[in-house]
Amino acid sequence: MSDVDLVEAVRVLRDEVLDTVEHGDRDPPGAEVFDAIVSALQIGGESIPALDLTLHDAVARRLAWGDSEESVLADAEAVFDRLMTAVERSLADPPDRMVIFEAATQVAVTVARVVSLAAVARATRDRAARLREEMAQKQLEVVLEKQRSSIVRMELETEP
Amino acid sequence: MTQTVSQQGIRVAGDTNVGKVRSTNEDSMIVDPVRGLYVVLDGMGGANAGDVASQTARDAIREFVMQRRTAMEPRALLEAAIQHASATVWNAAQQVRERHGMGTTVVGCIVVDPKRAVVAHVGDSRAYLLRNGRVQMLTRDHTIVEELVDKGLLSAEEAERHPYKNVLSRNLGAKPEARVDLVDVELRPGDRLMLCSDGLYGYASAEAIQYLLGSGDAPEHVARDLIDLALRGGGGDNVTAIVIEAPQPPASSTEVVRTTGAMAWWQRRSRFLQVAKDRGLTKNPIVRGLDPEEALELIASSLCQAIFHDLEKSTGVNVWTFAQNIAGGWFERSGDWAPLRALMDILATSARAVVDEIGVADTNLGFLLSIAVSRALVVAELAIGGLLADRLNRVDAELIKVHAAMQETIEGAIDTAQETALEDTGDRFIDRPTVPFMRPDRPVTNPGVNAELISAIEKTITIARGRTSQRAELVRQILGALETIAIDATGNFASAVLAARDIYGVRPVDDTGVMPLYDALDQARIITAASVHQISASDALRAKVLRSLSGAHQRLVGATTGLVLEAVAPYSERLREVQAKTAEMRDQVAKFERKRADLERKYATTIDHSQPWEKRGTTEW
Repeated sequence: MSDVDLVEAVRVLRDEVLDTVEHGDRDPPGAEVFDAIVSALQIGGESIPALDLTLHDAVARRLAWGDSEESVLADAEAVFDRLMTAVERSLADPPDRMVIFEAATQVAVTVARVVSLAAVARATRDRAARLREEMAQKQLEVVLEKQRSSIVRMELETEP
Repeated sequence: MTQTVSQQGIRVAGDTNVGKVRSTNEDSMIVDPVRGLYVVLDGMGGANAGDVASQTARDAIREFVMQRRTAMEPRALLEAAIQHASATVWNAAQQVRERHGMGTTVVGCIVVDPKRAVVAHVGDSRAYLLRNGRVQMLTRDHTIVEELVDKGLLSAEEAERHPYKNVLSRNLGAKPEARVDLVDVELRPGDRLMLCSDGLYGYASAEAIQYLLGSGDAPEHVARDLIDLALRGGGGDNVTAIVIEAPQPPASSTEVVRTTGAMAWWQRRSRFLQVAKDRGLTKNPIVRGLDPEEALELIASSLCQAIFHDLEKSTGVNVWTFAQNIAGGWFERSGDWAPLRALMDILATSARAVVDEIGVADTNLGFLLSIAVSRALVVAELAIGGLLADRLNRVDAELIKVHAAMQETIEGAIDTAQETALEDTGDRFIDRPTVPFMRPDRPVTNPGVNAELISAIEKTITIARGRTSQRAELVRQILGALETIAIDATGNFASAVLAARDIYGVRPVDDTGVMPLYDALDQARIITAASVHQISASDALRAKVLRSLSGAHQRLVGATTGLVLEAVAPYSERLREVQAKTAEMRDQVAKFERKRADLERKYATTIDHSQPWEKRGTTEW
């Protein structure tokens, strides 16, 4: 491996990978994925609990602001693809590139896992909400039945 | 820092530091392994005389020992050298007015042989002995207070609080002659002697010194750490320490195998491969279709490496795993017993050739290794035996099933047996080129992709499969999918989606259903990344392989997550439908409520108030 500081080498690709110019002051979509790759490179190794937590927070924040899971996933894919291309172009040393490919793949799997977890959690919430709705419907049916019979009786009584 | 190993296997290291408060180092030391002479001196006296005193004494002792060592017995030599040094320092002090009263403490040691040493001291520099993890002080400080305690005039508690507790009763240079205390020490293997000035024990606790001395670290590390310890404790004085370690007891057979044996084995791995090749490993049906070099790398080199790791750690885990992978893959595809037996025999012969070669160079090591390597080979045989037993059990179960079916209906059983027979014999593995994880007959499906890259990807996945347990079905499936996606030149998502559907299968939409998918994807990622480094290819090609496999992984993960999102989507849709129906029902209730209110108003106008309540009717619900 060369003496290149890989963290710095990836950091300088941020504008290119995230297309920051397009988004002005706002955080560009997929910024959380790019930052996670940088942090994976900083920490190194296979066991990075902090990476899971950071991505979990970032993805949860995006979902809370109304982004769909699909869009989070699509952004992650775009960042991955662009980074791969940018790295191949900018880093000459193959072992250096390999380190970044490994980190990027690790982040890709982690993002997918976090998105899936969020989706599964949402499905659980939806299932519980549906149960509550169905219980409410049963109560409404009782009310409607009572209303219906009362109306029929009143119509009979008020008939001339 | 001075460190050395004497010819007798005695390891020594010494270090000295000026400390954090003083500007000059008045300590001196001698580390002379050739003569077995080790001395620490701590000078004292104003106007820079302390360092002069200690250096003068140091030089005097060294000179004296060099000149008289052959003529005198060690104990007398050390005593005479110190007395000579005392006279030399005293004479030097008399010649320069500013140096009057200068002096030095000394603790010295002559290591006669690995079993015997003589320790001498004057003043409060100390010698310690570490034996079996316990430290004992070999010297007694020559201070006024200590001597009062010895005479019974002071108690130990009073001595501790005494204002003159640091005032020396003896030193070199105060008088022309010095009274030297001597101790004979019988050294045992692994014993450690430590000589130090008061700058060490005055600023470091006895427990910490004992801990460092007994840490088992090399003497040079211990000496450095002792100095650091004193500096961390304040470093108020110059600090010097010499650590002398008697030769360690001879290594046990296990240790010899773990260190020298493992290394000797590894150094002869090329011999192992050569013998395996000569014995026809590359022609064995198990590796049929593979390039000979690849076959050697995958089978012989892997076993050689597994044995090396097991020798290093005195376990059989690696060899066991190797044998299970090879035999598991072979049996899974209905491979016959004979080729496996032949393969194991070839590997055993190669191993014995290596051990014999080691034995020629070192009989003892060869003997120990032959036991250890035989043990590794037995472990491999046991692993294969276990798989064979499993296989026989399965065959038994099948036979029982067929027999039971025959009892029910003869004709049906015959049909079933024929079908089974067709399945078993129509596509027997023995007729196929090789074991499942070696697929050289795979056609190059994608002419658009570089054939070299495809071949490297296949090799990577082959190695990855070899490293994956037979039971990790999902991981193996993912590895296959990665290979397919990576060599798909179209680069579209279709192959990833198809593979993801296969992998996803049928599973519950909750954590227990979905998370194992990602665990397996992660595992496959780690195994693949590690395997890329094992293929014999240039760095550039490896990087390309990893790039392709990473891309494939990303697409597969994306497609799998897409499927998860697809699976959870009905829950949201159903909720929306139910919510719409609830809203509709609420509207209905509101509509009925309005109608009821209208009717109530109408009813109020038509009611006959002259009637009693029970006859007016009611609008209660």
